[in-house]
Amino acid sequence: MIWTCEQTEARLSDYLDGVLSGAEQTAFDAHVNTCQRCTALVAGVSHLVTDLHSMEQIEPPPRLVYSILDKTLGPREAASGWRGLLGLVRGVAAIRFAYGALSVVATLIIFLTAAGFNWRKPRLADLQPATIYLNADRGVHLMYARSAKFVSDLRVVNEIQSRLRQESEIPETPESTVPQPSIEKQPGRTDRSQPATPKQQNRANGISRGMEFLALALPATCNLNSVFIARRLP
Amino acid sequence: MEQDAQLVQQCLQGDGSAWEELVRRHSRRIFNICYRFTGNGTEAEDLSQEVFLRVYRTLGTYRSAHGGFATWVTSVTRNLLIDHYRRTKRDRVTDSLDDAMPVVENKESAGRRPDEQVLLGELSSQVQSALTKLSPELREAVILRDLQQLEYVEIQRVLSVPEGTVKSRINRGRIELARVLQQMGVRPS
Repeated sequence: MIWTCEQTEARLSDYLDGVLSGAEQTAFDAHVNTCQRCTALVAGVSHLVTDLHSMEQIEPPPRLVYSILDKTLGPREAASGWRGLLGLVRGVAAIRFAYGALSVVATLIIFLTAAGFNWRKPRLADLQPATIYLNADRGVHLMYARSAKFVSDLRVVNEIQSRLRQESEIPETPESTVPQPSIEKQPGRTDRSQPATPKQQNRANGISRGMEFLALALPATCNLNSVFIARRLP
Repeated sequence: MEQDAQLVQQCLQGDGSAWEELVRRHSRRIFNICYRFTGNGTEAEDLSQEVFLRVYRTLGTYRSAHGGFATWVTSVTRNLLIDHYRRTKRDRVTDSLDDAMPVVENKESAGRRPDEQVLLGELSSQVQSALTKLSPELREAVILRDLQQLEYVEIQRVLSVPEGTVKSRINRGRIELARVLQQMGVRPS
């Protein structure tokens, strides 16, 4: 079959659609393979069709639908009476509106609470800008003070924990656990050859005070013992 | 299709919400056809409104036995676009592909708004520019087949021409479009 450039042009879409007969397809391919002009044409149109098919739809402006509805159904009139109320309820019942309303209410509650509004005893005066400012200012300072205290507490706890950790990490070897006598910490002597250090003196004073207390209590017990001893004797 | 026919029946009984549903279902497609044909967003918007106004007024003449509602609306759109083409002189300039190409091309790209440039990708923008240089018969055939991806039978109904003519226009339209793009220095991907 003889195939010409004109035939290639005329049947190009049929070739792209794959509706050429077997003989036509063979002749088409044979011609295109030998004709430089037709090779470029087929390649160009083939790519173009692919590009056209891959082009996405354009989004129309959102106002288009409303413009069409206004032109066809006429401008929308505000519904009155029970129909208006029904429309309002329908609008409020929409999920998007419910979410929006909920977020607005939550924001208001957070804002008013932060501004020091008393929900148990609500007063109109609390809603005045000056009052809101003062309450908010006080709230901020209070919050700052609490935060500072909290940080301070944490620091103390951390310090205590670190000290405890240090103590628990000291190795428990016999040499380290047994207190070693120190020359500088020898007990003081009463003959004044080696006077006691103030700490030792204090301890000694404490011991003597204890002894005095015991001495006051002892006479009674001594008397009782003497009675028992006297009875045992024949 | 059946749902469209049902909505049309409801519209004819005075149901406004059914008409709204029909508009929402088809406005995007009609806007795209108008935009691809005119290459101008504002004109496409105005033409889309006109299309639906005409559809609304002649809704009683629609018969589902003659084809789907989408095909019918597309047919109305095509007729309106041809009317619009005949009314405007600017498109006549682009009718002949032998006209001074660079001058026309610059005018086209200068006339497009920046938001439209963003709206279209680079390739899409170049193809759009090339499309407006085709004759309206070839342009509408390529738009319906390759951009709206309608079947030959549907295009035949929309254009009211024999299937052979449809295929011939599509074929010639593709070849012309490829040539225009080549002259514009656009290499196919």
